[in-house]
Amino acid sequence: MRRFRRWRRKYSYFLFLLPALILIVFLTVYPLVRVFYLSFYRYNPIRRVERFAGFANYLRLFSDRFFLTGLKNTFLFSVGATVTEVLLGLGLALLFNVKFRGRKLLLPLVIFPMMFSTMVICAIWRSMYHYDYGIFNYALRSLGFEPVKWLINKDLALWSVVLVDIWQWTPMAFLILLAGLQSIPGELYEAARVDGATGARLFRHVTLPLLRNHIFLALLLRSIDTFKIFDKVYALTGGGPGTATETISFYIYRQGFTYFNMGRASAAAVVMFLAVSAVSLLYIRQVWRGEK
Amino acid sequence: MRKVALLLVFLLGIAVLALPKEKLVIAGRDGGYGAALQIAVDIFMERNPDVEIELLKLPYKGLYEKLVIDLSAGGGAYDIVMLDDPWATEFMSLGWLQSLEELGYTPDPDFVPTALSVCRYPYPDGELYSLPHVGNVELFAYRKDLFDKYGLASPPKTWADVLEAAAVISANEPGVHGVVFRGRKGNPIVTGFLPILWGFGADIVEEGKVVLNSREAVAALKFFLLLKQYAPEGVEIWNSSEVKEALLAGDAAIAIEVWPAWVPDLDNHDKSKVVGKVEIAPAPGLVEKSSPMLGAWLLGISSASRHKELALKFLEFVTSAEIQKVLTLQAGHAPTRVSVLTDPEVVAKYRWFPSQLAALESAVPRPRVLVWSEIEGILGEYLQLALIGELSPEKALAEAAERIAEVVGE
Repeated sequence: MRRFRRWRRKYSYFLFLLPALILIVFLTVYPLVRVFYLSFYRYNPIRRVERFAGFANYLRLFSDRFFLTGLKNTFLFSVGATVTEVLLGLGLALLFNVKFRGRKLLLPLVIFPMMFSTMVICAIWRSMYHYDYGIFNYALRSLGFEPVKWLINKDLALWSVVLVDIWQWTPMAFLILLAGLQSIPGELYEAARVDGATGARLFRHVTLPLLRNHIFLALLLRSIDTFKIFDKVYALTGGGPGTATETISFYIYRQGFTYFNMGRASAAAVVMFLAVSAVSLLYIRQVWRGEK
Repeated sequence: MRKVALLLVFLLGIAVLALPKEKLVIAGRDGGYGAALQIAVDIFMERNPDVEIELLKLPYKGLYEKLVIDLSAGGGAYDIVMLDDPWATEFMSLGWLQSLEELGYTPDPDFVPTALSVCRYPYPDGELYSLPHVGNVELFAYRKDLFDKYGLASPPKTWADVLEAAAVISANEPGVHGVVFRGRKGNPIVTGFLPILWGFGADIVEEGKVVLNSREAVAALKFFLLLKQYAPEGVEIWNSSEVKEALLAGDAAIAIEVWPAWVPDLDNHDKSKVVGKVEIAPAPGLVEKSSPMLGAWLLGISSASRHKELALKFLEFVTSAEIQKVLTLQAGHAPTRVSVLTDPEVVAKYRWFPSQLAALESAVPRPRVLVWSEIEGILGEYLQLALIGELSPEKALAEAAERIAEVVGE
């Protein structure tokens, strides 16, 4: 009896965690294991093909022009969008950390872009980017400049998509960093000022170190989100022109749900999973190191 | 005893009264297709009050995904399914559709033979699994007024004539693009390119072998790139809405690919600046005769349906000459029956129907293979790489052929 009570005291909290654990097992662990398993098979549920294929799916990926370009574009997109968003977000956060008139009114305006559906945003941007009738080229033409092939030029199209992401998600980086700034106690600045620090030095030696974890959090969240970029590509360019805006998610979607090549789609998903995990680990280690 | 008998009669009465209407579920398309089918559904329910029909209106990709998932599992969620003709081989060969001849149906010789042939498996004269509902066929549109102005032969007979006309009009008519087409990768660019490929005497798959890497195919692709010189900026990402806009605004002299569904707008004063100036013709030929692409929509009965007789009754009804005429006049439906395509009342409203019938009769269906959607995807990607100049035509087709062979070889 006493042993049972001790056992219960020790392990009963598992019981409370059980519902969450079951959910995680079914919705995260099982699919993950299944994707790993399928990535070694030639598996097409529609044509009823299922046979072991070893590393064939992986080998095929790394000789596939579309996958390789997708990988490259995804990295460019993720790095380009994340860095710009966090830098702009930091600038905005510093601005809004100063008390000024109308701040309460302006704040909702700044976070506005986050509140729209991506599909709606893309439809609007698509019309603004239109070569003949879009507002950007209209403005350029009336100022006497050459119109720009926003979504048509294969060297520019990816960056046009990045721009939409920056417009939509800078507010999120901004909110995280603003919260970070407002959690820095004012006394620290006073103490630093007493010691003779001003302006840039104050920022460099007080603000930045204390904001460090928030910056890493913003970088982590934005890079994970941009790494799986799909909706904007789907709505703005369809992955074109050529392979200019091909991304890994888009590749997985096509292989999986247009061709039903589940094996190859799974292999691509595994590669993506490993890449995201590596990036996350890097950030998380940075944060932990900062805490020590 | 009497009590029991009375009770039985009473219960039977309730059962009869509560007998549910027989219900059919149709998985169909959205947009104009859905609107047309809805008219037929409404008339059918009016004439058969004991039948209830639910028509699901789905977008193209959504319809395909839903059908594949339900039919492959034998779920029986849909009784009647609407399918694009390139899906037909997959659906029919895997036993997903009910043979109509088994249900005692014999097809009417009034159907245009090319449209009926894709309803059969094996193509073109096997068992009948579906009926041709929408007689879509790729048409060719050109500005008769501009062709006359520059003394160009109309309608252009060969693709060489088309190139010449595009060049002349581009050079002389300010603000008008010589030619427009859908260059967006995937289905759009493939659809635009196929009549040229076929016209040059090439093909993608012949008797189960990939023949895309041929001299004729390379010539066709090079020709496509020549045409592109006279197309507007950004044609690489154009889809049907852009082609349609350009035609309606009078900014395009030639559209190598238009579809029956949007031709009526060309003569609509509210939408078109070129009323009466655009002529419709079958696609030109070159080495081969004119080879427009068939894009028929078929109606079939799910093997798992529990209302097959009723479903067949509806299928016969919706493809009958009477209803096709109603749908054509009211909703701009593309009929599949010769008698409707030549009906004087119908031709009076749609002046290009003789051309449409000619195109339908010489139409070529896309390859009858299981894996068409993947072939189309691969070809669409490589065609676009050639179109934007990232790969040479030779290399693009060679690589595409290699990839397609992998898929077909399985």
